[in-house]
Amino acid sequence: MLKQRILNEFNFKKQAEELGVSVWQTPSFLFIVMGVVIVAAIFGVYVASKHYNSPEIVIISESSVVALLFTIGNFIISTVESVAKANKMKTEFVSIASHQLKTPISEMRWEMELLKSKYSSGLSEKQLEIINEVAHSGEKMGRLVNDLLDTARIDQGSLALAKDNINLRDMIDELVQSQKALANASNVELVVSFDEGDFNIVADKRRISVVLDNLISNAIKYIGKSGMVEIILERKDDLVQVCIRDNGVGIPRSEQARIGEKFFRSNNPIKNKTDGTGLGLYIAKNIVEQSGGSLWFKSIENVGSEFYFTLPISKKVKKLLHC
Amino acid sequence: MLKGAGLVRAVSNSIAKKSYMAKKILIVEDDAVLQKVLTEYLTSEGFEISSALDGETGLQMSKTINPDLILLDIILPKKDGYEVLKEVKSDSKTKDIPIILLTNLDSISDVEKALELGATTYLVKADYKLEEVASKIKEILEK
Repeated sequence: MLKQRILNEFNFKKQAEELGVSVWQTPSFLFIVMGVVIVAAIFGVYVASKHYNSPEIVIISESSVVALLFTIGNFIISTVESVAKANKMKTEFVSIASHQLKTPISEMRWEMELLKSKYSSGLSEKQLEIINEVAHSGEKMGRLVNDLLDTARIDQGSLALAKDNINLRDMIDELVQSQKALANASNVELVVSFDEGDFNIVADKRRISVVLDNLISNAIKYIGKSGMVEIILERKDDLVQVCIRDNGVGIPRSEQARIGEKFFRSNNPIKNKTDGTGLGLYIAKNIVEQSGGSLWFKSIENVGSEFYFTLPISKKVKKLLHC
Repeated sequence: MLKGAGLVRAVSNSIAKKSYMAKKILIVEDDAVLQKVLTEYLTSEGFEISSALDGETGLQMSKTINPDLILLDIILPKKDGYEVLKEVKSDSKTKDIPIILLTNLDSISDVEKALELGATTYLVKADYKLEEVASKIKEILEK
């Protein structure tokens, strides 16, 4: 782990590629140059003061060292600044592009729905199958755009969450129903267990549903051949705790620290067989944390994974937004 | 099988037509495709549809045709949805017409602004099916 980290620190080429700058502009390289300059300067000043025993020489050499350090420091700051600026522009671009995509996606989805619901008589089974597939792709595209927009908002620090009253138990029941087809197709048994009583929370309904949907569909997708996904809803003091447990492929130990990073997808035999952007967990973690809870996981490769998240139980049931 | 399903649909459409025959909906939407799809779908659900492609025309029509409900986009030419909403709600003749904002702007500040200005509800186009839009309209009209 430590060795890997140190090697990464010294991999200037990789860093330069990641930041989109040249090798000599990478912060690590500049820091090392600065370190070398400092050591050389201390040594130089020591030698100079020993040989000449004159304060002018010491002052001149110290001033030139300060000037040099100032120049290098300035380089580092401007590099970091330009990277931050580029990052901001990228986020803004994603945000604008996603918004623009929403209109054509709405058009496509509504046209498909109109065709399916009002004009489908006379169509052959094959034609209907194709229409359903296109409609399904439209749904997927809609979800992807929402994910990209949420990611951009998280990066900008501008993700605003609605405050809806949610009965988590009902929401999980509904989601399990909608995931049944995927589960059956993958030979996965979905089991739900609840503590007694209500599970009322105040949070963003659409987004908490996205969190649950991502975790449940991930568990199903990464089961492999067949298995079981358990969804356990419990009360822990002032919190509701949801656990999604699967006996799937698990996450290799070496990759566990990177889970939840943007665009990161674990390397496993199923990776290339399933869709995914690597944004689901990143978004889920941010939504849960911004809603006052936390998200974590335990996983053993080839044994399975357990994903947990908590959310505060609402004391007062109050409807703030009705959309 | 298909024929049977078609028949059921036809029957359910005619029932829908009966109960919503008299209800007039004004759609203010500048996207021609969305305007067309909404009009076709809601017409087949039994509503009488009038439409405007910009805010100013929409506002005028809200006074002349006296709709039972308005579906209103936010980003519109000439007058935006917020302005239309404000003016409809400040006119004693039109202030009781329920307004559904139907837009792709989905930030919480937009939703809050719309509800503060008196919109009955706020739907994000990309997140709702036509069926859900229609059932929301029916729910509001039945109140």
